[in-house]
Amino acid sequence: MIEFQSVSKKYSDSADTLALADVSLNIAKGELVYLAGPSGAGKSTLMKMVAAIERPTSGRVIVNGQDVGRIRKAGIPFLRRNLGLIFQNQRLLNDRHLLANVMLPLIVTGAPKAQAEQRARAALDKVGLLDRALALPMALSGGEQQRVAIARAIVNRPQIILADEPTANLDRAAADKVIDALHAFHSVGVTCVISTHDEQILDSAARVIRLEHGQVAGGAA
Amino acid sequence: MNTWFRQHRFALGAALSHVRKAPGSFLFNVLVVAVALTLPFAGVTLLDNVRPLSEELSVDPEISLFLKADTPRDQAQALAPQLQRILHGSHAKVSFVPREQALANLKEKSGLTDVIATLGDNPLPDSYVMKLEGFASGAEAARVDDIAEQMRALPGVDTVQVDSAWVKRLAALLGVLRLALLLLAITLGVVVIAVVFNTIRLQVLTQREEIAVSKLLGATDNFIHRPFYYTGALLGLCAGAVALGAVALALRPLNTAIAEFARLYASEFQLATLPPLGMAALLAISAGLGLAGAMLSVQRHLARLK
Repeated sequence: MIEFQSVSKKYSDSADTLALADVSLNIAKGELVYLAGPSGAGKSTLMKMVAAIERPTSGRVIVNGQDVGRIRKAGIPFLRRNLGLIFQNQRLLNDRHLLANVMLPLIVTGAPKAQAEQRARAALDKVGLLDRALALPMALSGGEQQRVAIARAIVNRPQIILADEPTANLDRAAADKVIDALHAFHSVGVTCVISTHDEQILDSAARVIRLEHGQVAGGAA
Repeated sequence: MNTWFRQHRFALGAALSHVRKAPGSFLFNVLVVAVALTLPFAGVTLLDNVRPLSEELSVDPEISLFLKADTPRDQAQALAPQLQRILHGSHAKVSFVPREQALANLKEKSGLTDVIATLGDNPLPDSYVMKLEGFASGAEAARVDDIAEQMRALPGVDTVQVDSAWVKRLAALLGVLRLALLLLAITLGVVVIAVVFNTIRLQVLTQREEIAVSKLLGATDNFIHRPFYYTGALLGLCAGAVALGAVALALRPLNTAIAEFARLYASEFQLATLPPLGMAALLAISAGLGLAGAMLSVQRHLARLK
């Protein structure tokens, strides 16, 4: 489902440092994979390439059979509609309530408002926040905000969820709830890629890909 | 098609929502754009009022031939066949105006009956008025001068006056005014685009996070651009409506002054607002300028947001 073939990435503002250096890996459909490694190891860059936020300097990134590096600009939104993106800092829109935040991925695809609202309520229900649907994000704790971000990521019924450090800045109880929610979606067949440096979470992981200095240090196969 | 309509409805809703969030700022921008639009709109209204007036005025030359005051009536009337001979080959209507009729016309049209009564004797001479047709081209206009010259040589003729010159001057003046108005409209159109450009730029900056998140969630460029386009068009439309309203309001005191002036010429001329179709056209142009400003701004500033 996700394949990296000898992928390297060099940012234009970095000197000679490669953010990713000759990375090759495979993630099968329906798999739950953790990306582990210290800060600066290349986890976020790898995630961004799957979502075509960054393009590889060399090599190929294949997602759902599509070469992400060759997708035209106009085609990127349609790639992202099949992905559920979760960010470390949630990136919820603070000027609108949770329901409107979760409806957004459906609204951008042109879904009818009533249908979008119904599905957004269902998604909020799945993460246990339906009773807060009309609250503003700022009124929620960090853990709750991350669960709203998960609801927003799954409302489109994506084939792949990419969660970049979803438990960072959360206490243990909140982090566990977030991971439980992601596991729940994986259990119904969604491919999940979760980056973390929380070793406690990794203890129970079936597969961990470790990155160090932009290179795969283990778990690529 | 339903999706297309839904997305446009959403974009319009988003644009209106931004207006509701900052009504003061929107109103201020509307006023700034309206000020820029008012002057060309006033010019268009003025020209629209003057155009039919100038079209009513004949540009066909009219020759007035005034006889010497002491010319006997029978000699005056005897000139008619000679005039017809000079005008041979031209479509012309020749009318003899006796001095008594000229005085009566003056009394009736000028409203200066009392002043004329103090003159005692009728100071006006007998005259001929000849209305020529089909002298539109420059070469034909030159023939009129030849005709006038031949008439001046006739016995008893005091003055020959060709009356089409001032009409031509008026037409030329209106042409210059139209060109000046066009240049003014282009200049102020650029001002409108610049104001909308800046307004949308600020809006793009304040909505940077929303735009970035929407892109990450699969929004197309069109989806992101549309609300800004609607905002620009809405701004132009509202400003156009305000400018039209301002022109309509300004016509009231202006018409009071014009009425007094026109009365002196026994006219009831009044400036009127543009017809509905004209107003709709100006509103469409205003909205179009707003849209153009928004499109330029969005293309320039959203391209910078990764």
